Amino acid sequence: MPNEAKSIIMELEHLSVDFPVKGALPFQKKRRVQAVTDVSLKIESGETFGIVGESGCGKSTIANAMVGMIRPTEGKVIFKGQDLFALERKLFKEARRDMQMIFQDPFSSLNPRFNVYQIISEPMLIRGKSTPEEMKERVIELLRLVGLSDKDLYRHPSDFSGGQRQRIGIARAISLNPDFLICDEPVSALDVSVHAQILNLLMELQEKLQMTYVFISHNLAVVKNLCDHMIVMYLGKVMESGSTKAIYKNPLHPYTNALLTAVLDVDIDNQKERVILEGDIPSPIDPPKGCRFYQRCPMAMMGCKSIAAPLIEVEPGHFVSCHKVNGFPEPYANEENTRPLDPENE
Amino acid sequence: MSDLMLKLRNLKVVFPAQEGIIKAVEGIDLDIGKGECVALVGESGCGKSVTSLAIMKLLNSPPALVKVDEINLDGEELKNHSDAKMQELRGKTLSMIFQDAMTALNPVMTIGRQIDEIYIRHNNYSKREARKLTIKALDLVGVPEAKSRANSFPHQLSGGMRQRVLIAMAFACMPKLIIADEPTTALDVTIQAQVLNVLSDMQKKHHVSLLLITHDLSVVANMADTIYVMYSGKIVETASKRELFTSPKHPYTEGLLGSVPRLSDSHHHFVQIPDAVPHPMFKPGGCYFHPRCSYCTEECKLKMPPLVKTADGSEYRCFHPLNLKGGHKDAK
Repeated sequence: MPNEAKSIIMELEHLSVDFPVKGALPFQKKRRVQAVTDVSLKIESGETFGIVGESGCGKSTIANAMVGMIRPTEGKVIFKGQDLFALERKLFKEARRDMQMIFQDPFSSLNPRFNVYQIISEPMLIRGKSTPEEMKERVIELLRLVGLSDKDLYRHPSDFSGGQRQRIGIARAISLNPDFLICDEPVSALDVSVHAQILNLLMELQEKLQMTYVFISHNLAVVKNLCDHMIVMYLGKVMESGSTKAIYKNPLHPYTNALLTAVLDVDIDNQKERVILEGDIPSPIDPPKGCRFYQRCPMAMMGCKSIAAPLIEVEPGHFVSCHKVNGFPEPYANEENTRPLDPENE
Repeated sequence: MSDLMLKLRNLKVVFPAQEGIIKAVEGIDLDIGKGECVALVGESGCGKSVTSLAIMKLLNSPPALVKVDEINLDGEELKNHSDAKMQELRGKTLSMIFQDAMTALNPVMTIGRQIDEIYIRHNNYSKREARKLTIKALDLVGVPEAKSRANSFPHQLSGGMRQRVLIAMAFACMPKLIIADEPTTALDVTIQAQVLNVLSDMQKKHHVSLLLITHDLSVVANMADTIYVMYSGKIVETASKRELFTSPKHPYTEGLLGSVPRLSDSHHHFVQIPDAVPHPMFKPGGCYFHPRCSYCTEECKLKMPPLVKTADGSEYRCFHPLNLKGGHKDAK
């Protein structure tokens, strides 16, 4: 593979994250929410990596585990060759300054009582390595970088529009020169007309500052133009992964297809047939034993209910977890299992 | 014309503030036909939600100062209606679907009771009759196991389900006009597709007029018949859906259309409208859009362009309209 030459900046090895749920009764068996189950991925230095899925599928949990905010139940987070959670506290903190995060909601991720200067300089203040003059200079530089002006220095978040607030959030995230930036749905709280501004800004910054992005989104139209590689997640598991080009050219998993057709288009002469998924994403407490998607899958078969679907490489670098695509593994490949799932007998 | 459900003429809404006057809405005319779905599109801060609240007469005054020549709902003039009279109408003849279902629903009441209330209040049904209707209404919008779900609290439902409950509430008394204020903004794409389908089906089946308020033109492409584009308190373009999507006349509409990310795009750059909506207290002189407009000339900086009507009934507010028949071609 040619990409051996590129360095891997972030690697997840069989990452699983569980959260305990309190039982309703004192002696009830403790149940666990399986937020993320067995996710492995590699992110190359300098690329943009997309994580796609609906809310509740574990996208944000992965992001939080990557920056060390959540301790995984199983598996490893390897950042720049180091196992993040095996590091000493001091080194752990060191490693974390190289990774930053942009949050979804610019209305709740900025302290309303801080002014712009305080917000953006806070990371520098915590690191405690610069004098106030340096900090002010740096904050002004950052403001210009994200398209605001030094006039905004002492204004408060409430004086800004959603798009401008997100710019402040971006300035804060890049204030310590990170090389790994996680964008957790950075535009979904904003107007469509502002989306493009923020996305273009992010791409510009990536070019200027040579950062690696993890881009979390549920809008596949955005991911297409932004990301090099991506994974599609459902209920804590990876459904499809590979290069963005391969997935858009040949989406194999029914869920990826559903997501693709759910993207609304403004081209009214070319309205496509939409696959509309029934129902909601099920609860991650006691997820289905077989394929996690079978309850909503338009192509589900009897076997999908009970036989787990492994992630199998269908073409170089393109992995899919679906029985319909890969066929059932050997002992299960019989007629009973391949019968279409009858919703009545569920 | 008697086939109009809502006829709004010259609506103005002003909020006096300490530093000056905020002109939220500056003289808007809106026509909604019977059984028609009309969309009001614009960025946040352009006054679209204030317009909807003004139609419902839900704006408190003070602080808001509302001036309107005519709010005519199916022949009934609402302008001088008292609060008590409006309360009779709200929910029965006109109702509203809000953006955020979690804040629109009462968190300490089961959804069943919240819907029952509408029937009891407006039609004097008994509690038992009301519950029967409630279950039917929930069934209609595709809430599974409606009977038991009626006893759950809003926090026990998913976002899509909550939005369905709001749709059921809005359609409960089969009103003449429903205003949906960004009904799908808070939802995931797959759930958004579901909810839009439900809304569109319900609207067509019951022949209700719908005013859909959104900032996302791609939502509108599937539903609306006529589209009003609003910018900074003024209507800048009105057209039928086909007209607007295939040949937008106002540069702002063109920008909005371009900024929707498409799956068919292959370039590595997103089309954007520069800057943001002006602060409603400090609107620029001339055409409000001129600082962001790439076709701007001296004339645009000095004068507000009037709303021009074309032969096919669409309207635009621009000195240099695009895509005019016989005029210059679109730059793209």
